[in-house]
Amino acid sequence: MAKERSFTEKEGYFGDFGGRYAPEILTEALIELEGTYLKLRKDKKFLKELEFYRKNYIGRPSPITFAERLTKAWGGARIWLKREDLNHTGAHKINNTIGQALIAKAMGKRRIIAETGAGQHGVATATVGAMFQFETAIFMGEEDLRRQKLNAIRMEMLGAKVIGVSSGTATLKDATSEAMRDWALNVSNTHYIVGSVIGPHPFPTIVRDFQKVIGDESKKQFKKANDKLPDAVVACVGGGSNAMGMFYGFLKDKKVKLYGVEAGGRGSSPGEHSATMLFGKTGFLHGTKTLVIQDEGGQVVPAHSVSAGLDYPGVGPEHAFLHSSGRVKYETVSDQGALDAFMEVCRVEGIIPALETAHAFRFAKDLAKELGKKKDILICLSGRGDKDVAEVARLVGLFQGGEI
Amino acid sequence: MSAIRSVFSETKSSFIPYISLGDPTYDACVDWADALIRGGADILELGIPFSDPVADGPVIQKAFKRALANPFSMEKVLETTAKIHALHPHIPLVYLTYFNPIYSYGFENFAAEAKISGIEGMIIPDLPYDTPETENLFHSLQKRGIDLIHLVTPATAPARMKGIRDFASGFIYYVTSYGVTGERTALSNGLEERIRMTKSLFSLPVSAGFGISSPDQAKEISEYADGIIIGSAVQRIIEENGSNPSLCRKKLEEYALSISKSLRGNR
Repeated sequence: MAKERSFTEKEGYFGDFGGRYAPEILTEALIELEGTYLKLRKDKKFLKELEFYRKNYIGRPSPITFAERLTKAWGGARIWLKREDLNHTGAHKINNTIGQALIAKAMGKRRIIAETGAGQHGVATATVGAMFQFETAIFMGEEDLRRQKLNAIRMEMLGAKVIGVSSGTATLKDATSEAMRDWALNVSNTHYIVGSVIGPHPFPTIVRDFQKVIGDESKKQFKKANDKLPDAVVACVGGGSNAMGMFYGFLKDKKVKLYGVEAGGRGSSPGEHSATMLFGKTGFLHGTKTLVIQDEGGQVVPAHSVSAGLDYPGVGPEHAFLHSSGRVKYETVSDQGALDAFMEVCRVEGIIPALETAHAFRFAKDLAKELGKKKDILICLSGRGDKDVAEVARLVGLFQGGEI
Repeated sequence: MSAIRSVFSETKSSFIPYISLGDPTYDACVDWADALIRGGADILELGIPFSDPVADGPVIQKAFKRALANPFSMEKVLETTAKIHALHPHIPLVYLTYFNPIYSYGFENFAAEAKISGIEGMIIPDLPYDTPETENLFHSLQKRGIDLIHLVTPATAPARMKGIRDFASGFIYYVTSYGVTGERTALSNGLEERIRMTKSLFSLPVSAGFGISSPDQAKEISEYADGIIIGSAVQRIIEENGSNPSLCRKKLEEYALSISKSLRGNR
């Protein structure tokens, strides 16, 4: 096994992955951001302010819930849920946008932009845009706008400008490229709130640091409730911010098995999945060196997932490192598996999970059987599935032609 | 002296047009290159299409999309380059490419084969000088006499320019404005001052690109820059006329002549 962590903040690398491979026009802004953040993370006033918003605006700490009925239904290990779906705006994304909004404020920026796939990061950015009175623009692929209309409406209601992106595959990958282009044009007055543990250094570190509250809280809460740590922790991975935040708290606890679950989509052919760990190879995308789903010529292959939040052909560089070191195991779950788990969790546990998280649930179901009783699995319930209900209803055939 | 430096030593203001290889076909690009060189190009930039060109505006994004509708292979890129080189061996050819395709190909092989195809320089907008890969690539290219041309932008601080000096050769590509590639009617304030400052820090010629499209703009900038790079305006001619090869050729040659004539006063 490779060394667990060789990240040095000065260089921004995680083993062989990470770094800063952005166009030159953005480099000074990235250097400024890194410098500002390194100061702020030690600044008591900043940390106090962050804590204030976590408690009074996001609603942290989010609880952990013992999923008694799922445990019974699956007939194996005990299932616990870290309830990021109970945060304000309904997902973990707000943990990061609050933090980055405070950084943007400290840098004197007046405008914030973001990319979004499923729209949860867009909603979280639009929310802090309203809260701190930033001019806000959100880039979203046209295909995702169709799938996640509710979130696009929420963003507009919060005062953000939603910009549909029709270039390329019209999904998250292209929305990310478009946000980078906007940032290059407006870099002097704009902060780009990257939504996952991706992008050029220092973004993967900053986003991880704002999300690690998930794992830190979970560890304390679980220990208090059970006087031990969970045997396994499971989280879904697109870019990987909820998973990174959750795993980070447990990296040093070798007995805790960590599982990241990617979107297996509808098959193993290129364009049919978003399983970067399984099918990706080392490459350069959106300013970072990481695993990328690409063809033999080095062209990035469009990703697919039933969940708009997971169909990204890359993954956070720290995940790529954790994969190469073997500390975290990465698995896949198909579109159908995620849909099945989505419906099962709704009906058995009374929780509508995000389609992203449904991938984690489907994997945990098998893991629960494999580990057997007396073991504990903690799942990061990264967000609620209100945004997905129309798409899931369409896909599973609910209310077809009927009345709702 | 490299082939690229020789051009600058012989010409006071060089004209450097750009085309995206493969748009709409690889064979057509040989014709486009021929027309631009006949119209007075001193150096020709060849874009290697990439699926995610974050530093490019809509015109070049669309060109890459059209190019990638053809099966992409680096072999095809190199073969097309060699054809252009064979037509005009005295005109230095420069690749503009994102890093992933050449990393995927293996940059030691890539450097060797690019040289054989006639490439004299490389521009890689998403590969900053301060990465381990730049250092390795620089040495691979240096061995073969290929220049690594760096971008300097309005946001690049002088301290960073000093770092770039260690890995830059051929010429400096000065980015005239914030944002991505694309035609603009107004140039940024203080451009002359910035270019003069850049020239004072590098012992290399400085060519200006991003946003330049008209002969008048080219003439104005050539008063203080060593070269003018034009991408989107050329690519737009191909976008609008590429389906009619003889008309497209004619328009490209006429456009190139209009720019090269506007620079001639400074030659």
